[in-house]
Amino acid sequence: MNRRLRRLSPTILWLVAAVFILQLLSSAAAIFFLRGQMLEVVRTDRVRQVLDVRDDLLATYLQGGRPSLAQMIVRQQGSAADPTVFIALTGGGTPLLSNLARVPALDITQRPRPVMVHLGPDIPDIEGMAIAGQLPDGERLVVGVMGATESRFNLAFATAGGLTIVVAVALALASALLLGLEISRRTRAIAMTAEQLASGNFGARLPEARSGDGFDHLRLQMNRMAERIDTLVSELGAVSASLAHDLRSPVARLSAAIDTALERVDEPGAIEALQAARENADGLRRMLETALEITRLEGGAVADRRVPLDLAAVAQDMAELYEPLAEQSGVLLETRLEPAVATADRELVSRAIANLIDNALKYGARRVTLRTTAVAGWTEIAVLDDGPGIAPGDRDRVVERFVRLDNARTLPGGGLGLAMVLAVARRHGGTFDLADGDGPDQRGLLARLRLPV
Amino acid sequence: MMPAASTCTGNREVSARILLIEDDGQIADYIARGLDEEGFVVDRADNGRDGLFMATDREFDVVVLDRMLPAMDGLSLLKAMRAAEVDTPVLMLSALGSTDDRVSGLTAGADDYLGKPFSFAELLARLQVLVRRRTGTPRMQDTVLRCADLELDRLSRVVRRGGRKIALQPREFRLLEYLLLHLGEVVTRTMLLEAVWDFHFDPGTNVIDVHISRLRRKIDDGEGTMLFHTVRGAGYRLAAD
Repeated sequence: MNRRLRRLSPTILWLVAAVFILQLLSSAAAIFFLRGQMLEVVRTDRVRQVLDVRDDLLATYLQGGRPSLAQMIVRQQGSAADPTVFIALTGGGTPLLSNLARVPALDITQRPRPVMVHLGPDIPDIEGMAIAGQLPDGERLVVGVMGATESRFNLAFATAGGLTIVVAVALALASALLLGLEISRRTRAIAMTAEQLASGNFGARLPEARSGDGFDHLRLQMNRMAERIDTLVSELGAVSASLAHDLRSPVARLSAAIDTALERVDEPGAIEALQAARENADGLRRMLETALEITRLEGGAVADRRVPLDLAAVAQDMAELYEPLAEQSGVLLETRLEPAVATADRELVSRAIANLIDNALKYGARRVTLRTTAVAGWTEIAVLDDGPGIAPGDRDRVVERFVRLDNARTLPGGGLGLAMVLAVARRHGGTFDLADGDGPDQRGLLARLRLPV
Repeated sequence: MMPAASTCTGNREVSARILLIEDDGQIADYIARGLDEEGFVVDRADNGRDGLFMATDREFDVVVLDRMLPAMDGLSLLKAMRAAEVDTPVLMLSALGSTDDRVSGLTAGADDYLGKPFSFAELLARLQVLVRRRTGTPRMQDTVLRCADLELDRLSRVVRRGGRKIALQPREFRLLEYLLLHLGEVVTRTMLLEAVWDFHFDPGTNVIDVHISRLRRKIDDGEGTMLFHTVRGAGYRLAAD
């Protein structure tokens, strides 16, 4: 699960998050607008109620005079019976109060105004809306309606808004996750196939479904590409393999003819020339053998002789084999070997190591270090030298068959050594790469062959 | 204790009989001519059926068997031969030079395996080892190997030349032991690489030569008689002649 989560593309997460934030903002705007509208409706309603009650009281006053009004207020009759309505009549001795403990301070206005209503000593003040007016006898009549309209609305909308945000965020995360997982699930199969193609399995294909979405299109194109690569590679392989194969017999006959000639001549100059010819024929034969071996390795036409093998022991043998040669060339060949057991083919691994040591000796190193290490599921054989190294741009190219860098053209060899190492790595499901030397002076070349345990 | 060899000159095997089963006329001619010059008696077959018939019918010292043959392939021939209890040493030749093919050849009962193309010197050296193994004095069980005044004790792992004790690295010891076991015979670089290091590839450099010259300095330096001999185009020979 963690692996899959890590494969979620950050871009997709950001995109989904942005879409949801926009959605949230637009909902917030709608809610805010709605709140304003509703508040307006309720306020208008209250205003009308306040005015209605006042008109009712004024009508009573005009018909029955002050006593009728006072009675209506005290007994809470008619429109004064509504428990949310409060009334105060002041200016004629003891104030007459209905639903009130204290007369709210209020100027005389045409329209009702918001006020705080004091209902009693232990009850918190309540918001309300009231209007004040003057009766013909000079008394002051305050009429109002209680109701914490705005704050209650705000509370309700805040609660609703909060809930909406929580739900929306949860949904956003869930859908981002699902979307991401689905995308990574689909791309994973594609990536795995691409990985197989890259590691030389040109027969790898993706299942094709024709639902017509972008992924299907991608899969289809991937398969077409793989088909094309497969054809090209097998054509190339067949051509070079048959070429190498067809060249072996003439080379064998050439060597035989030189051998026969060597038996027959006594002149030292002729012998020398024939021996040089013989060496070159041998070099050519080795190149052909190696080229064929690489083709066989890459084509998988090699029996599996992998056994649990301590690479340190193989490296030790190789170091011992090459130590006198290194000493003769004035090179210090060192080993730093840790036990590293991998399932490997001793013959192939030792050939790979031989090629790497050969290369280091050939290209002017003064000190060559052979290392083996084991780290978390992998084993590594590394050959570090302090030679001129290989420029980063040339490193991928130099492991290809028959590729030789300009400075190597004058030296013997066929440009197959590193290609062979790469083929051995792939054969084992491992990797081979070249890097800058990691010694204290940071010079030279570090060649790393990694094999799975 | 086996008596020490009184001499260590290479007593060439004369008139050893070789059966050459090879369908490629050109290669067969080349091998037969070379072996003839070296004093071997060579019989030839150019297909598997005739080859099997000859191998079971007559006595040979070594059979040189090509792996790819008309009528019956080399591996089947070899199996049929071994099934008929013919234990003549077999040197298998093959254009299939890979390690796999070598392993399958040896598993089927071949005594040695040589990938084509090969040098005649390599073939000759390996043939002589097989002939010697069959006809010569078996030295494999000897605990002390000698050549002139050189003496190698396989149990105490002590090497002496005259009265001088020579200190050798373990691998040098095995190299010298192999050369002494093949006294007087030509051993090639690939034979040494296979027997002493158990590597079956051609490193293409002179790694073996450097090992030999190191060992040669330890054994021959300051001595009147040189025991190490370089055989041009082939390899090395340890002998007092």
